[in-house]
Amino acid sequence: MISDNTKGKVKLTVLRIIVYAILAFLVFLCLFFFYLMIVNSSRSNAQLASGFTLLPKENFFTNLKNAWNDASINIPRGMLNSLIIALATAVLTTYFSALTAYGIHAYDFKGKRLVFTFIMAVMMIPAQVSALGFVQMMNELDLTNNYIPLIIPGIAAPVVFFYMKQYMESVLPLDLIAAARIDGSGEFHTFNFIVLPLLKPAIAVQMIFSFVSSWNNYFIPALLLDKAELKTVPIMIAQLRSADYSKFDMGKVYMFILLAILPVLITYILLSKSIIKGVTAGSVKG
Amino acid sequence: MAEVVLKNIKKVYPYVSGEHKKSKKKTKEEPDKKKVNLQITDEGVVAVQEFNLDIADKEFIVLVGPSGCGKSTTLRMIAGLEEITSGELLIDGKIVNSVAPKDRDIAMVFQNYALYPHMTVYNNMAFSLKLKHLPKEEIDKKVREAAEILDITQYLDRKPKALSGGQRQRVAIGRAIVRAPKVMLMDEPLSNLDAKLRNEMRAEIIKLRERIDTTFIYVTHDQTEAMTLGDRIVIMRDGYIQQIGTPQDVFNHPANLFVAGFIGMPVMNFFDAKLEREGSKYFVLLGGQKIELSQEKEARLLANDVQSQEITLGVRPEHTDLSDSGIKATVDVSEMMGSSVHLHVTAEGKDVIMIVPTVDMNSIPAMGDKIYFNFVGKVAHIFSKETEKNLEF
Repeated sequence: MISDNTKGKVKLTVLRIIVYAILAFLVFLCLFFFYLMIVNSSRSNAQLASGFTLLPKENFFTNLKNAWNDASINIPRGMLNSLIIALATAVLTTYFSALTAYGIHAYDFKGKRLVFTFIMAVMMIPAQVSALGFVQMMNELDLTNNYIPLIIPGIAAPVVFFYMKQYMESVLPLDLIAAARIDGSGEFHTFNFIVLPLLKPAIAVQMIFSFVSSWNNYFIPALLLDKAELKTVPIMIAQLRSADYSKFDMGKVYMFILLAILPVLITYILLSKSIIKGVTAGSVKG
Repeated sequence: MAEVVLKNIKKVYPYVSGEHKKSKKKTKEEPDKKKVNLQITDEGVVAVQEFNLDIADKEFIVLVGPSGCGKSTTLRMIAGLEEITSGELLIDGKIVNSVAPKDRDIAMVFQNYALYPHMTVYNNMAFSLKLKHLPKEEIDKKVREAAEILDITQYLDRKPKALSGGQRQRVAIGRAIVRAPKVMLMDEPLSNLDAKLRNEMRAEIIKLRERIDTTFIYVTHDQTEAMTLGDRIVIMRDGYIQQIGTPQDVFNHPANLFVAGFIGMPVMNFFDAKLEREGSKYFVLLGGQKIELSQEKEARLLANDVQSQEITLGVRPEHTDLSDSGIKATVDVSEMMGSSVHLHVTAEGKDVIMIVPTVDMNSIPAMGDKIYFNFVGKVAHIFSKETEKNLEF
């Protein structure tokens, strides 16, 4: 006769197998397309045109050389441009969103709810709705072909603000701010030296998200940047894709996409610990 | 070290948009409710009012009361963390209503420690001194001295999360004492600790007081803490002071029914009784018994020209005695506490608690037993049924 203990063990093993199978499938879904991109970046345009394959080919370095030396685009320049914009946006967005969230979280003032609701309402407006007016305004201010309109408006990020505010509610007791005030710390000093260090995981998460969305942003830069030396990676990728038939090389495009996601991958790997901390914050008593 | 004076302090939290309408609507629907809760007014929610108190230099004052009575708000007003709606607050003879917390020369210990989690214990304690730009050597000396007093020297390099609750609270106290403040404010500092640790820390605070010799204002909801720590106790309810006095004073002469019920553990027993005046003599009639009051009590009642009337009679559980005759009662529950037994009995239609010493365990009644108990007139507290005030005052 099979004991209850053995039955339990069998049940547990079966359950584990099912769970691991689901997890393995999800991992496959996540990684397969990266793998496919690496494979495709090692295939020539002709090989790519011939169809789908799972095995890499020998043209990786040829594609790299071709992309790097393409006369119409300057990859290092594009990556540097994207890096400047994405980094500045990420830093400024998270800092000012945290500052705004701190203002709403820590201070009591008339119209606080209204301000909060207004910021939340802004979240509902897609960038495309205001894009035309925004581009016109930048034209009038003579700010086209300039990084300022790509960095400064990004600072007002309601989603980041909301995330920061929710995070503060779970990790930042108001007594801590009161204690700092009594200790003689000014309001900005308290924010910079007491509050910000506590928000590290949230800042890491939001910096990554801001960095990635700014790095991948095609829409607004395409409307504002004409000069070749100012163009960002997504614009250059689009440029490669829209090259005429004689110059069109899909291998080069895949290679450039691979190069373009490298900084994002590196950032993710470096900050993965903080991301996990950030997304699980407040779930258990710390 | 400083004198703290609170003159007619009032704190009103104005309604935020929308809230007022809601509360108005509510009061329309339930008109009686407004009368019951005096704190909700047209100008907002009144947290503290008519608060007058002179705290002497180096005095240990305890603000005590149930949740929502305004004790923490009062403390936060003294700290400068809450704006004072009206009234004057003086520290060391100077009005400080509009002075920033950092310039009031006060230190505060919070219930949840409020330690900076990313800093070591040393840096937590040194934070305020660094902001004052004191020389490094002096900061080091002060921090180590405070750590020595609180026996936390071995934890100076640790972060708060690596400390137990009691150790964290010591660090919080250490952070406050390094500043050698004129006034030390403590907002329920022991509430987050377990019972054993709370007793230990209570003793530590008494010792600390001897060593640092400053004015203490301590907030608690625990009457035991209030009784053991305070030179004087301020008992609060619904934003009003109910009584100010020494622990002995408030225990022996509670000003009203609320104070009588709040101070003392187990709580005072209350009976519906009758006060009889016969010339200059006073008696209490309860359960067919005629209890003679002490001369001292009679003199006070006479001075107030108190007439015969229905009263609420208060008798502390420790002042009741089992006897062969007296007030009849039935034992409901018997709780063995070690040094004594708490008998929960029903007498005169009320639940009554009696404390019986365990010298002779055989004489202690069991559940369901019919018993008689008595008390002497000098321990009886006589409260007006109408005003709930102690008729002796």
